[in-house]
Amino acid sequence: MPLRGGKELRISHVGLRGVVGAGLTAGHALDFASAFGAFLGPGGPVVVGRDPRSSGAMLREGVIAALLACGHDVISLGVVSTPVIQHVIRRLGAAGGISIGASHNAAEWNALKFFGPRGVYLSTAEAGELLDIYHLRKFDFVPHDQLGKLRHEDAALDWYLDELAAVYDFEPLKRFKVVVDCCNGTSSPILKRLNERFGFDILRINERVEGVAFAHEPSTTARMVALQLAPLIQPLQADAGFLFDVDSDRVALATDEGAPVSEEIVLPMLADYLLPRGAGKRVIANLSSTALLEEVAGWHGGKVVRVPVGRQAAMDALASFRPEQIAVAGEGTGAVMMPQFRFIYDGIASMLAILSMMAERKQKLSEIVAGYPRYSILKGEVPLVSQRIPALLTELRARYAEGQLNLVDGLRVDFPGRWFHVRVSQTEPLVRIICEQRGDPPRALYAELLEQVRSYS
Amino acid sequence: MPREHLLKIGVSGIRGVVGEFLTPHLTCGFAQAFGTYVGAGRVVVGRDTRPSGQMLQHAVACGLLATGCEVVYVGILPTPTIQVYVGATRARGGIAITASHNPPEYNALKLFNGRGLFFNHYERSELLDLYHQSDFRQAANEEIRGIVFDLETAPGLHFERILKHVDAERIRQRRFRVGLDAVNGAGSLMSCQFLEQVLGCRLHAISVDPGRPFPRVAEPRPDTLGDLSELVRRENCEIGFAQDPDGDRLGVADETGRVLDNDDVLALVVDAALERLPGPVVVNLSTSAAIEEVAAAHGCRVYRTPVGEANVVEMMEAVNAVIGGEGANGGIIFPPVQLCRDSYTGMAFLLDRMARTGLSISELAARLPRYWRRQGQFRYEHGRLGPLMQALEDEFAGAVLDRTEGLKVLLKDGWIHVRASNTEPVVRVAVEARSEAGVAEWYGRVARLVA
Repeated sequence: MPLRGGKELRISHVGLRGVVGAGLTAGHALDFASAFGAFLGPGGPVVVGRDPRSSGAMLREGVIAALLACGHDVISLGVVSTPVIQHVIRRLGAAGGISIGASHNAAEWNALKFFGPRGVYLSTAEAGELLDIYHLRKFDFVPHDQLGKLRHEDAALDWYLDELAAVYDFEPLKRFKVVVDCCNGTSSPILKRLNERFGFDILRINERVEGVAFAHEPSTTARMVALQLAPLIQPLQADAGFLFDVDSDRVALATDEGAPVSEEIVLPMLADYLLPRGAGKRVIANLSSTALLEEVAGWHGGKVVRVPVGRQAAMDALASFRPEQIAVAGEGTGAVMMPQFRFIYDGIASMLAILSMMAERKQKLSEIVAGYPRYSILKGEVPLVSQRIPALLTELRARYAEGQLNLVDGLRVDFPGRWFHVRVSQTEPLVRIICEQRGDPPRALYAELLEQVRSYS
Repeated sequence: MPREHLLKIGVSGIRGVVGEFLTPHLTCGFAQAFGTYVGAGRVVVGRDTRPSGQMLQHAVACGLLATGCEVVYVGILPTPTIQVYVGATRARGGIAITASHNPPEYNALKLFNGRGLFFNHYERSELLDLYHQSDFRQAANEEIRGIVFDLETAPGLHFERILKHVDAERIRQRRFRVGLDAVNGAGSLMSCQFLEQVLGCRLHAISVDPGRPFPRVAEPRPDTLGDLSELVRRENCEIGFAQDPDGDRLGVADETGRVLDNDDVLALVVDAALERLPGPVVVNLSTSAAIEEVAAAHGCRVYRTPVGEANVVEMMEAVNAVIGGEGANGGIIFPPVQLCRDSYTGMAFLLDRMARTGLSISELAARLPRYWRRQGQFRYEHGRLGPLMQALEDEFAGAVLDRTEGLKVLLKDGWIHVRASNTEPVVRVAVEARSEAGVAEWYGRVARLVA
């Protein structure tokens, strides 16, 4: 039984997301794109791209119609990754952009993400304004002779690769034999082009860009890495394996020994790589990400800024620092932003950073991973009615008062060597429990928490 | 202008001024209703050259895809060509994005069934109900299909059908000097191809740039075709053709540059068609009585319907008509090509007639029964139509009355038809008589009552 409304459609500051047909419809695409057209104000082209889901074609048509009706020219990129869209917005000085794609969700889902000038996600305040226009349904349609014009841009992929090539030294990276599970998503054409244009040695699996049936659940988790990618590494004598979600903003990995690595490791690894390289000493991470981050940051005199879970909180936190103060930002899901890439969640850029790390340190990926102390994380979720959540959190707060409490997003409690986070999902009617310990898994604490949360269900 | 005429959603479909009135939302919703009505399958989408066509095309595609239809996009094409293509490719249906002869700020959807025909009145009512109920089929991701493009094949299919009914070789041999004004509409490229390459004419064309705005009033009438008259005279053309933006209506100028009454054009084509194959004729109530005379000469019967292509087509299907059309607004409907208004069939028939008889177009027109006609329009106001009709009945007491649409007063040697427009906030008056004085007198009496 759904415990909150809107299980198949979620409209929030993050944009809109839903199961196409049952929740997300053509009308939503038109309404939201019209609201975005009004939000941006008159003039200026808008960049539109989508991931390969079949429903993306339908939503794109609606988005294009609405933007043209608001007087915005539209630059259509076809099927591309979200980072490519963000780069094109900046390159062309566009007014903004819309990415149509449901990232790591199953094929029947889709979503719209909105970007302002320079390809940045909308701030919470801007997203709130967009929502207000959407709800008011007061759009600024222009007369017939002022409608926008549509054009297609095929060079986007190469522009994106140019930018990557400007940041990374590709030369030493070409030596690595890399296997990638594209999960039938937008990473596939990008990696193909990396091979063709720069001579990378990347072998792709699940490389067919697919609209309906993905080879497996498109989430960047160690479980998915273990499914098809990890077993291939040793037989192929590859140096590393990477798994991308459908819109290529997240990444997970397998070592040269064929071991799937927890998705939690990507952010600490990149912090370890980037902290000593620049002036930025701050790492922005959400409350649910591993405590390994604090340990790694400590090695390099860095400091972790913990923010609520969700892209919006990360974007707002970023906005309160100068870019050069930040070393890296991201989530434990494998979505990482680097200042070199203007804080765009970008799995491909993360992969290149990890390969660069291997090249510069002259270390195998398995050796790098083995260099980090072991942390064990346990995650679970319990469906819960909204009314009971405050009581639950109050009880937990009292019970674990001896720990260090953080109430910014649900409840996070830190103890020496372990911590837990109990929070309400933004996308589903669930309470999530995340529990981590240095060394072995915190099974007793996890069981105790699970029992307490369940007593409220 | 009254707000309700800037947007019209009804049994005829959806039409309005693009911007605040005809929005992508309404258009997409109508396409969703259409997709739900015809069912998941291929739906053909094309458009005329209006600047709003591109925006609406994406809104239509969005709505169709959302219901699980596959979109076959045929680009900028005349409406009759789209209709031929729908029927020939056995699609589920078709949508032409065009406001036909309306001014450029308007746009509309013309909706066709799997045979490329307008839906009948009952089907259109069902579709409208479906739209209002908003109970659309919502396709899930695995049911959503894509957009395919076929920008090439449709004109050939259309030409092929027409050429079965004229002696193309004889037309080509004549190397007719032809003037063309395509109003920069959907026929701009295709009409040049048809007249020059298919029918071997020496073509002098104006307003055949689909990227430019309409250079004249979109409706091809004697009072709007000054440029064509001038072109015909300047280039010594034997005939001049004018189209509306979606290429379904035809205007004709003779070799002197005089623009023929559209009723006479229809009468010429009806005569040509009946000579080949006698049978029932269908025209609207505002069409000239010359049609009855022409048909009678071939021993054929004429049926009358309310004004509007869909009405004429519906009756033509019901009585298995061999030819039909709408006089005043320049529509020629020849079912063997396609049961729709088609300027291309009209052009081919007239050239064929000239080639066969060796007569000029003015000589052909001169042989038609001679009538004088006058059309006019007056401001429409709610609540005035009823009293106006009463007054007309009193004014022409004793005349035979036809109340099928508005009021048609049948007089000795003539008639008067007064009705409210379906598309604009006006009352339309049409008068026909055997003499110039007769028309002037009747029109004057009606005008005094209406004004």
